[in-house]
Amino acid sequence: MTNTQTVSPARPLTRPVAAPRPSRRDRGTRLLATLFLAPTVVGIVVFTVVPIVGSVVLSLFHWNVIDSPSFAGTANYREVFTDSTVRVSFLNTLVFMVFAVAAQLLIALSLALTLNGRMPTWLRSVFRSAFFFPLVLSAASISVVMKYLFNQDFGVVNWLIGLVGISPVPWLTSEHAALATVIIVYVWQQFGFSFLLFIGGLNNIPKEVHEAASLDGATGLRKHLHVTLPLLSPTLLVATVVGVINALQVFEQPYVLTNGGPGDSTRTVVMVIYETAFEQLRFGEASAVGVLLFVLIMAVTALQFRLSRRFVHYQ
Amino acid sequence: MTDSNLTRRTLLRYGAYGAGAAALAGTAASWDRLTGSDIPGRDDGSLTVATLGPAYGPEAIRTLTEGFRNVHPDIKLRINAVQAVDWSDFFAKILTQIAAGTAPDLVYVATEGVQLFAKSLGVPLDHYVRRDAAELKEYFADVHPSLVESMMYEGRLYQLPVEFNAADMYLNRQVLQRAGADFPAPDWTRDDFTALLRGMKKSSGSQFTPYFWTNRLWGGVVPWLFAGGTNLLTESKAPGGAWLWDSFYPAAEREGRGGGFRWTTPQATDDRVEEAYDYLASLIQEGLCTRPEGGNGQNLVGVFSTGRVGVTPAGGFWAGGLHLAGMKADAFDVQYFPRWRTQRHQFGAAGYALLRTSRKQDEAWEFIKYAARRDTLMRLFDTNQTTPARRSMLTAGRYEESGPRHWQVFYDTLDKFPDTGPIPAPPQVAEVTEVLLKYTGTALASPRSVRPALRRMQGDLEKAMERDV
Amino acid sequence: MSRVSPLSQASLSLSRARYSLGPWARIVALAVCALLTLGPVIWTVSTSLRTPAQSFDLPPKIIPTHPTTEAYRGVFDQIDVWLLALNSTLVTALIAVGQMVTAGLAGYAFARLEFRFKKPLFGLVLATMMVPLQVTIVPVFLVLKSMGLTDTLLGLIVPAFPTAFGTFLMRQYFLGMPKDLGEAAMLDGAGPWRIFRSVYAPLAAPGLAIVGVLAFNYHWNEFFRPLILETSGQNYTLPLGLVSLQGNLGTGSISVVLAGVVLSMLPAVAVFVVGQRPLREGITSAGVNR
Repeated sequence: MTNTQTVSPARPLTRPVAAPRPSRRDRGTRLLATLFLAPTVVGIVVFTVVPIVGSVVLSLFHWNVIDSPSFAGTANYREVFTDSTVRVSFLNTLVFMVFAVAAQLLIALSLALTLNGRMPTWLRSVFRSAFFFPLVLSAASISVVMKYLFNQDFGVVNWLIGLVGISPVPWLTSEHAALATVIIVYVWQQFGFSFLLFIGGLNNIPKEVHEAASLDGATGLRKHLHVTLPLLSPTLLVATVVGVINALQVFEQPYVLTNGGPGDSTRTVVMVIYETAFEQLRFGEASAVGVLLFVLIMAVTALQFRLSRRFVHYQ
Repeated sequence: MTDSNLTRRTLLRYGAYGAGAAALAGTAASWDRLTGSDIPGRDDGSLTVATLGPAYGPEAIRTLTEGFRNVHPDIKLRINAVQAVDWSDFFAKILTQIAAGTAPDLVYVATEGVQLFAKSLGVPLDHYVRRDAAELKEYFADVHPSLVESMMYEGRLYQLPVEFNAADMYLNRQVLQRAGADFPAPDWTRDDFTALLRGMKKSSGSQFTPYFWTNRLWGGVVPWLFAGGTNLLTESKAPGGAWLWDSFYPAAEREGRGGGFRWTTPQATDDRVEEAYDYLASLIQEGLCTRPEGGNGQNLVGVFSTGRVGVTPAGGFWAGGLHLAGMKADAFDVQYFPRWRTQRHQFGAAGYALLRTSRKQDEAWEFIKYAARRDTLMRLFDTNQTTPARRSMLTAGRYEESGPRHWQVFYDTLDKFPDTGPIPAPPQVAEVTEVLLKYTGTALASPRSVRPALRRMQGDLEKAMERDV
Repeated sequence: MSRVSPLSQASLSLSRARYSLGPWARIVALAVCALLTLGPVIWTVSTSLRTPAQSFDLPPKIIPTHPTTEAYRGVFDQIDVWLLALNSTLVTALIAVGQMVTAGLAGYAFARLEFRFKKPLFGLVLATMMVPLQVTIVPVFLVLKSMGLTDTLLGLIVPAFPTAFGTFLMRQYFLGMPKDLGEAAMLDGAGPWRIFRSVYAPLAAPGLAIVGVLAFNYHWNEFFRPLILETSGQNYTLPLGLVSLQGNLGTGSISVVLAGVVLSMLPAVAVFVVGQRPLREGITSAGVNR
């Protein structure tokens, strides 16, 4: 994966006129690029590309780990396509992704913008730490806590809404509410991630611009839309792309909170992969589902980059 | 560019250099830790045993290892406590090791995985048991045949059970008192049970639910299926096993024993199964019972010990749990599961399975015997977080501090109801469990959904059981 | 950037007059959100300080009437906190530093250097984020086995060095910096290395801080990889150790379990507090070009 052998016809770097000795500079650039990319690319090839190729190959085999694999052709894919659980899990995951990412970005962005207004520095630090805090916890342990808080009969949440006269909601045990609850718990923990990115992105915008833009009131909002957002768009792209990729692989929260139920209402694709591989010992089929998920994520990400050309502004 | 920027930048740079140097020095200093070369005796060809982490803490591991060294100084032993939260995590770990050819010699396996391991991975212990029959007489005399039978598959024995838990009923004494109800009799019926729940409901405020349960294979719907005289899959016994029963158990206890259970045809649409679900649905309708949550019930001890729940099914492992949760010995008690058509109970047991891939099978067998010894188990199970498989270990002294008062129930469940059996766990257990949990959730999520859910459960179970594992 | 400034100056003076009402409403709104966010955390901390018997009280008593640190003593009694913390610290710190290096370099290359196969290579890097760990863990284990790295801490660390997310973030970061800085340096005769080192790298601190903080958080709490890769108790990390507190079949005391959770989140909190400064100081970098 090196670029040293790329003896391309000396391509102009940025401004051909400005460069005194373009060919040496080009070589220097390529060498630097090679050195800079080497750790990442080598690591990725060894620890990710090889395993990915491995699982793509595996998706063409029947394998239960114990016996040696037997060739299956496309049988795993056919099986997976007709499996209703797999289909439902893809649907769940897409619904989850749309709502979780939208909520996460919206909350994080409005908090980051609001926080960027004028206020004492210590207060800003306190708020910033508070919003970031859930990210510090492990998803699995906090889901155990959340499971108690959202319990229909003894949970704090139902007690709280009971104070204002709302009757108890079966947060985790109703097919209609469970996915929404999983989304709430996920967003609660994850919005700090986008929040942090936005804080960093806002910091990169020159002071006058966001001071002006973060003023309150209706005009303030408009200024955000026209001034801050375009400048923040590179960060917005990171937050969206990574948010989508992460959301499409959600596992811990539904696994702990509902174990996929009631019925299949909160079963996500990665849960199906995990169950198929490590509980049912059907590694071939699990890999096939994994490959499908990979293709889906890749398509969604490519789409985002395509759209981003219209919306993202680099300086 | 101002001066302050310059200094800050310089500072940042030196800061970065410093951090880098510190990282390098730290890395060098801890190289042994990073490569694991400071761990004594690894990869030295020890006998390796994989246990479930939470069940066997560091203290227990030390006890086991040291005790074994005293008995067999010539066998090097390594116990790896797999820090898995549940059985699927545990399997994920073990399976990866098997795939890489670094599988342990022995794996701690519960009823859920007994037949799966036996069928594809395990080694039967029959010839070892025959060989060391004299030595094992005392063990079998102390362990109920139902437990032993649950570790058999197609006539062969695959594990020596060391612990088990039957699903009995735990009752919160304070809630009983509030309801003005007596402690139920051992032969209480399902109707007594319903009446008790109604009494509890009436005498308690909001944020209280009389009956609480978790949607899982052990202790979920299955106890009700057993009490209703049915099972999720048709149940029969494999032939064989006489070699074991004849040499270790008296005629009375041999009666009806076979070579392990066979779970075959799904019967989710059976009238009795439907009736069990209808009963649970009616409890939920009446507000006597919670809708079952998925998962492993980590909050269960908490809600029960704080009086938010009156009754819940659990086994001997709860005595220690409630004690840890600060419940006084007389604040709760345990009784048999109520009688419906039958009073058959369900249980799960666990022991060590010997893997086919092991090259130290003889040494492994020595460990199996050692792990089943009374003195070993006495040291291991001192906090009552499970029920020992050895009857002689259940004594008044053991339960004096933790309670419950009717601790005899734990083991007597096996004696009093000889048909008591393991949860249905054929080799296809993973998929069966998933289907069961999935449609139990749907069936009880809203009224009138029992029938359609069970129909779909039946279809999926049939598909699951056709699969060759 | 200079083209925006006059505009913002104008808007600043325009809305000065309406400023007086804003801040309080804003602070109250933020405070409410912060409370909602911290609620579950506060509940967790306060429950870890209560006796198990009071753990599920409703209304929840935020300030325990009889606070007790018994649960924390329980944690230290039941697991070897120090060894676990040492392992976790080694693993997480090295991963964080490693990721900052790899992501900083690769991100810069993708943003500011021209070379062949740039797009496909960047696609490859991003693609590595798209495969769930559960799918690749068995092949990864086999690769590590062939390198003799299973059941070592290095086996956890080295594969985590390349970071698709970090690379992507740093790429966006460098892309967000004004191009004319580098061009000016180039006109002064600076080579590509000098442009990186003297012009852009110093501006990257806030971005790198985000990469570091997020890497620390993620790997500090990581459970599945350590579960599969580490076999010896001496190599366990904190999240693995904490599992012991749950007891056999979930019978552990909830207070002790939560005390473990609270203890394990402290270092991540500390890292965030330390990381706040470079995060905030992103401002200075922007100051350079004005």
